[in-house]
Amino acid sequence: MARYGMVFDLKRCIGCNACVIGCKQENSLPDGMFFTRTLSEEYGVYPAVNRVYIPTLCNHCEDAPCEKVCPSGATYTRDDGIVMVNADICIGCGSCAVACPYDQRSQVDKDLLSHGLFGSDELTPFEEDGYKRFVPGTITKCDFCSERVDAGLDPACVVTCPTEARIFGDLDDPDSKPSKLIRERDGKPPMPELKTRPKVYYVD
Amino acid sequence: MAMQDTKIVGDSFQVGVRFQRYWDTSMANAFFCGELGAGLFFVAWLFDFVPGMVAGMLITGIFKTYFHIAHMGVPMKSWRAISRPDRSWISRGLMAIVFYLAFGTAHCLNLAFDLETAWGLGSAVGNLVQLLAACAALVVMTYQGFAMSHSTAISLWNTVLMPISSLTYALTGGAVLTLALGWYSLFAGLPHERESLTNGIVLMLLIDAFVLISVLFSANKRSRGGKVSASLLLKGTYRQAFLFLVVGVGLVFPTLILVLVPISFPAVLLATAAVLVGYYCYRLLIFKAGVYEPMMSFR
Repeated sequence: MARYGMVFDLKRCIGCNACVIGCKQENSLPDGMFFTRTLSEEYGVYPAVNRVYIPTLCNHCEDAPCEKVCPSGATYTRDDGIVMVNADICIGCGSCAVACPYDQRSQVDKDLLSHGLFGSDELTPFEEDGYKRFVPGTITKCDFCSERVDAGLDPACVVTCPTEARIFGDLDDPDSKPSKLIRERDGKPPMPELKTRPKVYYVD
Repeated sequence: MAMQDTKIVGDSFQVGVRFQRYWDTSMANAFFCGELGAGLFFVAWLFDFVPGMVAGMLITGIFKTYFHIAHMGVPMKSWRAISRPDRSWISRGLMAIVFYLAFGTAHCLNLAFDLETAWGLGSAVGNLVQLLAACAALVVMTYQGFAMSHSTAISLWNTVLMPISSLTYALTGGAVLTLALGWYSLFAGLPHERESLTNGIVLMLLIDAFVLISVLFSANKRSRGGKVSASLLLKGTYRQAFLFLVVGVGLVFPTLILVLVPISFPAVLLATAAVLVGYYCYRLLIFKAGVYEPMMSFR
């Protein structure tokens, strides 16, 4: 069974946030909700100032703290390593959200689903169709576009990235792109000191 | 450490510190009512004070339940919260609440109507029931602190001092309420017991102060996010509320009243109100000042 993960190449990321838009479109995310964000950080002192872009999303940790604290068992890990949330079981207590060290969870706002992006009480056909996947009040997050992965495709953010800064694949396959990158360019997971064992790595 | 690492960035797409926003006022209310009710039950149990135990169970059973359900994103599915006692402190706490209310009620009925004798059960059964109720109340007092301390995300909460502060504050609140509720009944004509409990409350207030200082000190030393949280409480947005209400009204004022003023019912009422205000504000501000650690930096 594959163990899916992702690598971010920080040398390639240009901070365009196309991945964010692609993700919002693919997952029909309401206003203010993001499954992925590209953070920016400035460093240095003038005139030697620089900026780096750091894509972030759910790290689908091996030792996921969100799964441990979930009282209803809604958060679970698939055999292929993708951490999912079962919206039918989720009670919306928020324990997973405060447990996640990477702040990658969102609560589905009941009002937002009824008012839509433009603030009126009418939903566009896109919203009407897309919002059906959400249960108001539950917690949701990136699931590596599990339906696309099951169909043999890459997640939407990976496909959208114009510079191929996002690399998705099987971390257990030593010949996969992410495995090679991690090995050759010393890939590092985010905040390893927390011992969550993320399946997302960064190479610089 | 760069300035940017401790900058509060809100929802913007920048590396920095973000407020936690999932556990808000309704959750703080639920935590407060749960701990206070269990604390009142526990202290009242020590004195075999049935009205105090009943009041404690009502605070937990009604108000904590109401505020928890108000917080839930899907209230109708709240019963599922009991599903994972093997891993989740929320599930364990919910089971403890059920035991505490069930055995607590049985113990109160036993004390009120001497059911041991009426049903020929013997004192061993009665002792077991009350012990189970007291143990369950202890769990209810502390489990919320344990649930918070498991958040590696939020440094201010990620400390063993969280369940300790839950316990000490709950016992302090329970003790002042027991003194106030039992002034004219339980402690009528018992000045020595009144004085002992008053001294105990003063000691608890000093312990609360020590634990509070430790929480802030440890957060400040532990991480960037912890430093921001401590700073918010001591120097930033929540400084006035924290120093005036939590420290001044909640700790200093009742201590001075109970130590310097001759013990009287009005003084005890005033001290009780002050302790409860300070306790509630502590609960609320600990939630509001909780921030996520800044996402990694690769510089």
